[in-house]
Amino acid sequence: MLQRPRPFIVILLIALLVAALLVPFVGSSYAIKFTTRVLVLAIFVISLDFLIGITGLVSFGHAMFFGLGAYSLYFISPQAEAANAIIAFPAAMLAAGAAAAIIGAFCVLTRGFYFIMVTLAFGQMLFSLFYTSRIAGGSDGAYINVKPEVTLFGVTILDFENRFAFYYFCLGALVAVYLLMLVLARTPFGRVLQAIRWNEERVGALGFNTYAHKLLSFVFAGAVAGFAGVLYATIDGYVAPDLFGWRQSGIAIMMVVLGGAGTLFGPILGALLYSAIEEVLKTGSWVGPIANHWSLGLGLILIAAVLAWPRGIAGLFETRARRARPERDQPSGDPQEERPQRGKALAVEGLTRAFGGLVAVNGVSLKLAPNLVHGIIGPNGAGKTTFVNLLSGASKPTAGRIRLDDEEIAGRTPYAIARRGLGRSYQRTNIFLPFTVRENCLIAAHARHPSPFRLRLGKFAREEAKEIAHALAATGLSTRAEAVASHLSHGEQRQLEIAMLLASGAKLLILDEPLGGMGAEETSRVIALLRKLSVNHTVVLIEHDMDAIFAAADTLTVLVEGKLLAHGKPDDIRRDRAVREAYLGRWGQEIVR
Amino acid sequence: MDLVLTQIFNGLQYGLLIFLAASGLTLVLGIMGVINLSHGSFYMLGAYLSLTLTSLTGDIFLSLALGIPIAFLFGAAIEWLFIRHLYARDHLQQVLLTFGLILVFNELQRMIWGTFPHSVPIPSYLSGSVKIFGLMSYPVYRIAVAGLCILLALAMMFVIQRTKIGRMIRAGESNREMVEVLGIDTRLLFRFVFAAGVSLAAAGGIIAAPIESVYPGIGESVLITSLVVVVIGGIGSVRGAFVGALLIGLADAFGKVYLPQFASVVVYALMAAVLVTRPGGLFGRA
Repeated sequence: MLQRPRPFIVILLIALLVAALLVPFVGSSYAIKFTTRVLVLAIFVISLDFLIGITGLVSFGHAMFFGLGAYSLYFISPQAEAANAIIAFPAAMLAAGAAAAIIGAFCVLTRGFYFIMVTLAFGQMLFSLFYTSRIAGGSDGAYINVKPEVTLFGVTILDFENRFAFYYFCLGALVAVYLLMLVLARTPFGRVLQAIRWNEERVGALGFNTYAHKLLSFVFAGAVAGFAGVLYATIDGYVAPDLFGWRQSGIAIMMVVLGGAGTLFGPILGALLYSAIEEVLKTGSWVGPIANHWSLGLGLILIAAVLAWPRGIAGLFETRARRARPERDQPSGDPQEERPQRGKALAVEGLTRAFGGLVAVNGVSLKLAPNLVHGIIGPNGAGKTTFVNLLSGASKPTAGRIRLDDEEIAGRTPYAIARRGLGRSYQRTNIFLPFTVRENCLIAAHARHPSPFRLRLGKFAREEAKEIAHALAATGLSTRAEAVASHLSHGEQRQLEIAMLLASGAKLLILDEPLGGMGAEETSRVIALLRKLSVNHTVVLIEHDMDAIFAAADTLTVLVEGKLLAHGKPDDIRRDRAVREAYLGRWGQEIVR
Repeated sequence: MDLVLTQIFNGLQYGLLIFLAASGLTLVLGIMGVINLSHGSFYMLGAYLSLTLTSLTGDIFLSLALGIPIAFLFGAAIEWLFIRHLYARDHLQQVLLTFGLILVFNELQRMIWGTFPHSVPIPSYLSGSVKIFGLMSYPVYRIAVAGLCILLALAMMFVIQRTKIGRMIRAGESNREMVEVLGIDTRLLFRFVFAAGVSLAAAGGIIAAPIESVYPGIGESVLITSLVVVVIGGIGSVRGAFVGALLIGLADAFGKVYLPQFASVVVYALMAAVLVTRPGGLFGRA
């Protein structure tokens, strides 16, 4: 998860800032204009990194919001007077943000390659709209005759015709945008976005509306890109449809990746480096006649950079392993000091799911009482995992009802079901691998208050820290809290799954083969944990390890070929003739023993 | 009625040309998992090959016969130099590297052929128009282009459906990992598929040159349109690319007549509509 920049990076950024502050004193007017352009592009590109590197949305149409910001200034500016930046700039951001809300509502429905393509298509749509129509001069572009100024109560504070004033305004804006993004990425909202980048399905299963989170991220990034666009239009006082085009979007992606996606400071370096390379290659006195073919050199350098530094310039500064931070004082998470809480009851009626002709779950009716451990067993292909997917909303039932306490949840989205207190773990370990154990639990704990508008820990900080400490202590992961999840052993990863469910505050836990791949000692520890969890939760356990499930469960449900074969106390199931014949045949002797 | 019929013909003929470019794009994406933004450059390569070869040989069909093998070798070389490094990389890096390739190809085009638009002559035996259905006259060369596209499409269908390499391609399209496990030399398969895709795109550029004239940046609009076609048809589906290309061709042709200012908007709106209703494309696995 995004950390504060390391001291080395901070020093580097401050050095760059000091250099930038000095440019107007030592540089030519050309150098000032060049640096202004880099500053504005850096703002644009940071906003794109917020989408690509933080949220994981690779937008190939981000320039459309850049262009909209620029054109907004053109439309707002009066013919022969200066527009007031105090009104014009927010209006441009509003226009870009509103467009991002409408366009994003469609784009965010898609993922991966399709998202890249849809954003590209919308960008081209706007491009051709401005290019072929006569709006604002069509393909010729249009001039903004007088650059805007900042006027307050009739007094002009900053006049952007003055290139020094404008330069320092842009520099201040870049610093502000960078700090804002950095802070935002570390709020609960920003953390959830980072989690979405790595494992969107899991974020949804924890109870977050990932669509709303991604859309908000898209709108925010769009508004900031609009702000950059307004500044860009001010540099030359000229707007053209190329600002929307896919080349502009492509170059922005280029700068993000060249600098290092997901670091927020990387794109600043990327914008600087890209512009510098372009400038050097274009300058005839430095490179001779090649200057006529500068884009050839640029293309080759980019190809080489992608092949040699897949993680960008920022990747070169990265240390291999994350330093373990000293354990902070954590509130005690002893579960004994709390009163037992009631888990949620679950009742299904006639639950059916058909895939074409195959009926994976066939008319299952079942009642699971609160605060017990319920085992579900059945041979391979019995429909256990499909059954769980129906409960958690990952799959929609063909027919039937599911009630969580008194509420009907069948057919709802996974996040809506998770918010009602149903949490699940997965057969294949499904966690946020690049994050530490504590960060994994932190995301889960945020699910207790899953609003996408959550920007502060606020009054929940204490409660969440306590739940995390409790979850880590209960699963025996306290000493591993700062380890990166991908470095954990398989057994530890399975326990982290359970810890995340505990931290999320779910009242009904569905565990899909939590013991898979565990040794005997770990298994007996997890069984003891499951027994203890039933004090405060209802536990549904799917497991292949027969000894374990008979030891852990209060009731057992047997599924065979999608149908409910038997349901009862473990001892009754053991003696059930039908179960022994239909299912336990192989193990029957061993279990009855 | 006359206009409607003409636009139907224009739309189908444009759609068939786009299909030649889009089929390679969708196969490379479906089988190798690579987004190749430089695919439009191969169409451009074809257009300029057409210009040079036709002035050397004097005939567009000789250019086609010479140009396809040249494009095939060129494609194989590009795969070996650049594309094969992308199979294990994520979409972002594929987008970047192939975007860099566009810059390189465009500049090379400028260095070799310059920036002026050129025209390629229509062979004399195919010039003129014929009456169709006794209603409208339609240029013979455009009909020939449509016929050639259909021939190439049929040849491709034959290779995919009836040959051993076609079976590998189909297997790769439905499950990429599985093909690698089955002991098929994916390096050669990928190189062949990529080079074949390049040849098809170049073939489109060669035969379209007498209709469209040859100019810098000719490949970019083809690329964007082809990407739209791939999305509409579904990744990896040649059948989807065919249907998608004809849909886009017709939408473009009628858009130009009835909504002249918004012709390209119609195309993108069509894609957005398909994606919202069928997120995996018309023939894709969602």
